[in-house]
Amino acid sequence: MNSGSESDKFSLADFFLAETDDPLVPPPDFLKWRRDVAWAISLYEPSLGSAAEAICQLGSRPVINMASYGYLALMRHPKIIQAAKDALDQFGTGSCGSPILSGRTTLHDQLESGLRLLTGKQGVLTYNSGFAGALGTVAGLLRKGDCAILDERSHTSLVDGVRVSGARLAFFQHNDPQSLDSILTRESGKRRLVIVEGIYSMDGDMANLPALLEVAESHRVGMLVDEAHSILCCGPGGGGVVEHFGAGQRVGIQYGTFSKGFSSCGGFAAAAPEIVDYLRFYSNPYGFSCALPPATVAGLSAALEVMREEPWRRERLWENGDYFRQQLQRLGLDTGDSDSYVVPIVIGDDRAMLYELGHALRDRGLFVSPVDYPSVPLEKLRFRASVTAGHSRESLDQALGIIADVIVPAMRRRGLLKGVQV
Amino acid sequence: MTREAIQAVINKHIMEISEEIQEAQIDPSRSMKDLGLNSLDIVEIVSCSMRELKVKIPRSELSKLTNLDALVDILHQTVAQKEQAPAS
Repeated sequence: MNSGSESDKFSLADFFLAETDDPLVPPPDFLKWRRDVAWAISLYEPSLGSAAEAICQLGSRPVINMASYGYLALMRHPKIIQAAKDALDQFGTGSCGSPILSGRTTLHDQLESGLRLLTGKQGVLTYNSGFAGALGTVAGLLRKGDCAILDERSHTSLVDGVRVSGARLAFFQHNDPQSLDSILTRESGKRRLVIVEGIYSMDGDMANLPALLEVAESHRVGMLVDEAHSILCCGPGGGGVVEHFGAGQRVGIQYGTFSKGFSSCGGFAAAAPEIVDYLRFYSNPYGFSCALPPATVAGLSAALEVMREEPWRRERLWENGDYFRQQLQRLGLDTGDSDSYVVPIVIGDDRAMLYELGHALRDRGLFVSPVDYPSVPLEKLRFRASVTAGHSRESLDQALGIIADVIVPAMRRRGLLKGVQV
Repeated sequence: MTREAIQAVINKHIMEISEEIQEAQIDPSRSMKDLGLNSLDIVEIVSCSMRELKVKIPRSELSKLTNLDALVDILHQTVAQKEQAPAS
């Protein structure tokens, strides 16, 4: 990104509505913008030459990886890999069709049993994509005339699910029970569903679940909690934020993904068996898409077993997250509302600086993702650092050293550093 | 193009996005959020209005606006500048 150029003023928010007559012709102004900001965008979608572990290979060199969602560092666990290999040998490469028409394997049944134990909910439905599963769960429950009331920082998959369903989409202010109360009152008379996340992906803060549940219950409205970033990582047994707050009986439906804590791919919904049975036929990403591959499913069941045997991974994850966040704060950096292992480093509204620093960090051997508008507010551009159980204290200190060398002086020069707490 | 014509374009797209909103409810001194529209509705209304008016203003500049009057003003200025510019 060239500071001060016309293209710097534009972002991905500006090209949603194409101005061409033919949908197969991309907007020329988008193509020009894409060329102009190629240097900045080259930070995205890098090719890894190794597993997405705490230290990984990026291009030809090792880097400290703080961009992976593999929070519990299970991606190369020998027990999980062996389970997946055995399933590959026995069941082959794929499920070869929609579960309803083409069936699934006994491995899928075992995984669902494990997920019932994890969540305490007796109905479970698995999806081959975390995004499609969230979209499909929401779209399977809501209809035109209904109203979904989402925390304003909810993930796109949940928002898209509401849009596909045709229900009215309303947002309440992030984690604010009064705002939720006011929207629920405004939308009274409709079938309503409150949707929140366990841990918010761009901010790393936990849902204010007790207060929000109290409000939803006072309106007799049910709640869906998306535990994408919290399932297996949060709660004494890994049952997510819902377990952390002891709210299992009060939350109607939990959604979780396999791409983060489980270090795999896919997602699942957990609820009462009657709701899940309804979703089986009305959640199209389930009924009209291939079941998860058997090898993936076997690996997921093994991951559940590993986490029962190795709870230290969850403890280390939280210890690492607390350490990294506190050290960033000691450097005077703004970690937003984070209280978890997802730690934003908020740098303000200088987009040119975001990409200059992003390249400098990458050059120094730290793989951490820049997050630009419109994914986050214009005045709160950031780097989003994921801490994992796989990071050693030494690797976290190295990462902090690089951040102290690269981000801190740039922020100080611009007068953006908070008061340093010694 | 007059300021009133630009307001009419925006109003039309507001009512297309939300069947529940009537023209009489649209108060230019207030924001679209005050009408109960969500952020995605607002992106769509502004994008459709800009496409119809054949102008493009960076979303980063529009995000600072606080009410409908301010949106009409910036669109009116941009349309006027475009009308005055020599044809390329």
